[in-house]
Amino acid sequence: MRRILGRLLSSVILLWAVFTLTFLLTRFAPGNPFAQGRHMPPEVMANLMKVYHLDQPLWVQYLLTLRQTLEGDLGVSYKAAGIPVSEILLQTLPVSLTLGAAALLVSVLMGLLGGLLIGIGSPILSRTLRWTTTLLVGLPSFLLAAVLIDLLALRGGLLPVALWEGWRSAVLPVIALSVAPAGYLARVFAASMEETLDSPFYRTAVAKGLDPLRRIVFHLVLPSLNAVLSLLGPLAAAFLTGSFVVETVFAIPGMGRVFVLSVMNRDYPLIMGTTLVYTVFLTVAVLLGDFLSEAVDPRVRAV
Amino acid sequence: MIRQGPILSRSFWSATLPFLLLLTLVLLALLPSRLTGIDPLSQHARLVLAPPLTSGHPLGCDFLGRDLWSRLVSGSLVSLTAGLGVGLLSTLIGGIWGILSGFLGRPWDPVMMRTLEIWYALPEILIATLLMLFLGHGLLAVVVALSIGGWMGVARVLRAETLRLREAMFMDSARATGVSPLRLVLRHFLPNVMPVVAVMVLFRIPGGILGESTLSFLGLGLAPPQASWGVLVNEGWKALPVSAFMLVWPAAFIVLSLVSFQLLADRLGRRFGVGR
Repeated sequence: MRRILGRLLSSVILLWAVFTLTFLLTRFAPGNPFAQGRHMPPEVMANLMKVYHLDQPLWVQYLLTLRQTLEGDLGVSYKAAGIPVSEILLQTLPVSLTLGAAALLVSVLMGLLGGLLIGIGSPILSRTLRWTTTLLVGLPSFLLAAVLIDLLALRGGLLPVALWEGWRSAVLPVIALSVAPAGYLARVFAASMEETLDSPFYRTAVAKGLDPLRRIVFHLVLPSLNAVLSLLGPLAAAFLTGSFVVETVFAIPGMGRVFVLSVMNRDYPLIMGTTLVYTVFLTVAVLLGDFLSEAVDPRVRAV
Repeated sequence: MIRQGPILSRSFWSATLPFLLLLTLVLLALLPSRLTGIDPLSQHARLVLAPPLTSGHPLGCDFLGRDLWSRLVSGSLVSLTAGLGVGLLSTLIGGIWGILSGFLGRPWDPVMMRTLEIWYALPEILIATLLMLFLGHGLLAVVVALSIGGWMGVARVLRAETLRLREAMFMDSARATGVSPLRLVLRHFLPNVMPVVAVMVLFRIPGGILGESTLSFLGLGLAPPQASWGVLVNEGWKALPVSAFMLVWPAAFIVLSLVSFQLLADRLGRRFGVGR
């Protein structure tokens, strides 16, 4: 219970720190959010600055934004004038979450299967997979995405090239997102199983002549699973950030694309909104990952 | 005795070959662009999207008729510099943090580690993207942003190493002989963490290369016409419907260098007993 409270407290501190840093970064960034590619009379500019409180001293802006955010109001986008940030996020977040969840599922399944085959497959299969997973770790998602689009969408015409319409358009982005993490997971899982193979309780299971299926499931796979579970949090982070790239490549209207565009456009409220939502999701993911590994492995609880 | 087993051993594939590949890449990147014979920025309408093996342009030309080979070579220097820069700078930041935290002990160590954990929750690219807002475009900006985004793993490893070395026998012996604290750190401690520091630099280099190419691919890193592998992949991706070659070359360079660095780092890490 104390641990949980401690975690919650540090999550709150994290949110506040991210808020403050993002605020300072946006306000000290060179350039003016309204002066991009257009010329406007100084009176109009002054008026705009006034409307968005950008003419106030920094600490007034900070307190104003902080109070607004605490009240749950993320403000209005500068670029898409008049549209509330929360509305943009509500439209784009489900897309990113669907994409991320699908990619998480696929990569965990592929990673576990791959790791299992490396661990208990024949030597040739094991070695081939080991090399494949090494190569996969060095394959950036944007590259894979580009190749997939070219081969399967443009030349093959099997799947849609871009956008987000129906499950068929999700296939390529999910593959592009999940392949590299799956390779990494497979390696981690295999290494963890190798350790378990050396452990006294596994040798006992072999010695007492337990049938292979039960031995592998209960004495090898389940005890080794924890290494993978503790990665789920960081992995969720990888999917969120991976989605910056993949959503941009596939022109998917998700939050990753909104984030990248908001940084390019210096859309301060939108940058703040996306960053905060990301931070909330990351902390929740890390917390969930920790709870999961505690639930599965009693050894973690004891520490 | 007749040698058993494959002619090319495991260590050839996992160490010698990656090393030779990287050496080739580095030498290539350091070639003065004069040796490639062509200015990477000169454009020729006649040569737009020329295929490979066009006379004088072994890898072909891009959509502005610029020679791909010379652009790739000048881009290699930028990408490798970014990787090395991120490796060095993030190890410097993480090293100072981790070693200080390990040496200072209570009450500073828990505070520094909590701060680190909080920072660690944010992914590297998210921090780097936000920082690019402030730092603007350019190689230095990319290196600084990625280093501030990704020094936390280094700090953790070096803190653990510091805690281990602090209790080591040779440190006790040095203390017992009445060596001054400064000398203790400079002459006895630092030389012994150096292997781990070197491994961490090598671990971070592929991260730097990947980070640079990701930022540049998104259009947040280096601005054209400056070339890096990421910029070239971005251009190649846009030209994909008409020509695959603009994508194939930089892609091959990225994958080869990432895998090679990864393999070497893994091997060196195992040699010095440093995990990820």
